[in-house]
Amino acid sequence: MGIIIKNIYKSFAKQAVLDNLSLTVKKGEFHVILGPSGEGKSTLLGVMAGLIQPDQGDVYIQQQRVNKLAPEKRKIGFVFQNHALFPHLTVYENTAYGLRARGVNGKKIKKIVAHYLELVKLQELHDRYPFQLSGGQKQRTAIARALAFEPDALLMDEPLSHLDVLEHERIRDELKRIQTATQVTICYVTHDHSEAAALADKISILHNGRIEQVEQPEDIFYHPKTSFVAEFVGANNIFTANLIDVNEGISRFRLNSSESIAKLEIEAKTYPVFTRNTEQKLCLHPEKIAISHTPNGKNSFLARIIDIIPQGAVFKVTGEISGLKLRAVVPKTSFKINSHTEKIWFTFPPDALHPLCGRSCRAAIPQRVCKNINFE
Amino acid sequence: MIKKQFTFFDIFLTLLAGIFFTFILLVFLMLFTAVSAGQLLHQLSSPLVFASIRISLQTSLIVVCLTFIFGFPVAYLLSLKTFKGKEFLDSLIDLPIVLPPLVSGLALLILFGGDGIIGKILGHWDIRIIFSQKGIICAQLFVSAPFFIKTVKESISAIPEEVIAASATLGASSFYTFRCLILPLSKNGILAGLAMTWTRAMGEFGATSMVAGCIPGQTETMTIGIYMNAMSGNLEAAVAVGIILIGFSFISLFILKIKFSRSYGYHY
Ligand SMILES: Nc1ncnc2c1ncn2[C@@H]1O[C@H](COP(=O)(O)OP(=O)(O)OP(=O)(O)O)[C@@H](O)[C@H]1O
Ligand SMILES: [Mg+2]
Repeated sequence: MGIIIKNIYKSFAKQAVLDNLSLTVKKGEFHVILGPSGEGKSTLLGVMAGLIQPDQGDVYIQQQRVNKLAPEKRKIGFVFQNHALFPHLTVYENTAYGLRARGVNGKKIKKIVAHYLELVKLQELHDRYPFQLSGGQKQRTAIARALAFEPDALLMDEPLSHLDVLEHERIRDELKRIQTATQVTICYVTHDHSEAAALADKISILHNGRIEQVEQPEDIFYHPKTSFVAEFVGANNIFTANLIDVNEGISRFRLNSSESIAKLEIEAKTYPVFTRNTEQKLCLHPEKIAISHTPNGKNSFLARIIDIIPQGAVFKVTGEISGLKLRAVVPKTSFKINSHTEKIWFTFPPDALHPLCGRSCRAAIPQRVCKNINFE
Repeated sequence: MIKKQFTFFDIFLTLLAGIFFTFILLVFLMLFTAVSAGQLLHQLSSPLVFASIRISLQTSLIVVCLTFIFGFPVAYLLSLKTFKGKEFLDSLIDLPIVLPPLVSGLALLILFGGDGIIGKILGHWDIRIIFSQKGIICAQLFVSAPFFIKTVKESISAIPEEVIAASATLGASSFYTFRCLILPLSKNGILAGLAMTWTRAMGEFGATSMVAGCIPGQTETMTIGIYMNAMSGNLEAAVAVGIILIGFSFISLFILKIKFSRSYGYHY
């Protein structure tokens, strides 16, 4: 079941939280809303579920306007940020609650609940009370409870935020499996971009009360459209450059003096937007920088190493090229580093760079401007 | 946990607390030593004392029922709904707790008296509140129901908003949510509130005596009986009734402490 949010405004104590926000969640989609803490993610879910009344705007569920529809009539499951299990009911009774409330007959309830408890691997704990469960078990109970009445869509508010790393990963993968198995529409809120990457079919970035970019994870991470999104997802090499020369395939830029004293010249793949602006914000994903001991073609620069942080299977290398700080993420296997290494070559192909929306998407027309940037 | 060792400060506090406990205990002890067991039994078999116990139990139990019927909706609405003038109503409900019962009694007397608004209307059907057990019930209800409302309000308010919202998103109607969530989760608060109301109603004197007077065998409750007997020099009867009243109250409070004071840890 699809959910469409149109031009929603919501303020608390005159402070705008959702500010003309629009969003479409398609049927069967695993849609992740990603945004920093306190930006209104829970408020947005509350509006979808009917728990929070927006000041303005419309909510559509399956093409029907549901602004006035009470939450209990919306058939939308909700997994709350802090589980919100019923403390006086067992895991089984919690899971059966939605079915009992709907007057489903006892035999059927038994079957359905058993099915969902098995899905979240809680069959053995069915007669425990919430206070006898671990954080992860509570979380799975909350998920089973929300799924058991077979809602048309499921809203999840940072459901994995209280778990340790292992449990987090396990339940995350389970959730993805459940979604694939049931094909239920999920709208999932989080501030953790790796979680979003692992789960989403589509990601919406929430910023300043609006959706700043909606795209598949690949595009969000490797083609962020605004500085905010770029910073937030870790595509954090952003610089302003002046166009020197625009050609069919390749354009040449000179970095602003504020970015680099030496006014480095770089080559970038040409985008249509380059013909309109002479000054351009460019984004370079750290994973697209290669590192070598010798120069290696175009856009190769000798960098002084500032620090090297090993992280999992990669090194995060920060280098400085005459004032310009660049961050690179390189596989550990691709590269030998010893403590004596002081300088190293950073190389990136021209198509590693892409333009960012000049203004932040808060300004009057920006949403359209962003769309005009043609990435193809 | 830090090792529990008594510091000088603790000893100082213990000393002060000890003085207070001794004071309380002494008060009760004196009461119990004032009459012998034989005298106690003798007093209890007197028809007037027996009648006062019966009247007290009868009226206070009716008050408990009425409190539940009318007080629960008040507590429910005050804790779950937002509306204009809520703070005003909320404070109004608490007022009888702090008001001197004599003032409450006076107000009830004016309302239900022959010239009062309600008194006049009821007079048409020959219903008399003043100087009757109905008056006792009204007075006790007015003074003691707020204890129930306050307790229930607190226990309903303690249910996290998300838990109630969760019930709604699961498709539960407000009545289902009330029956299967709010009622069970506030059960302890309700029982505690009823126990407090009952104890308060049993012990009510000021408002009751104002409204119902002191007609032996008819409107003489235990507390009024104690007062009348003590004033007329029949100390033994006063003490006997007093001891019974203490017994009722203590048992009720004690059960309350050990059974119903537990609450749900919502933030598990
Ligand atoms: N009932 C409320 N009354 C007043 N302010 C509120 C209320 N609910 C939310 N807010 C404010 O609205 C803003 C957004 O809150 P919200 O809970 O939606 O953020 P969030 O993105 O879910 O944050 P988090 O990631 O920390 O959960 C916050 O600044 C918060 O203080
Ligand atoms: Mg939140």
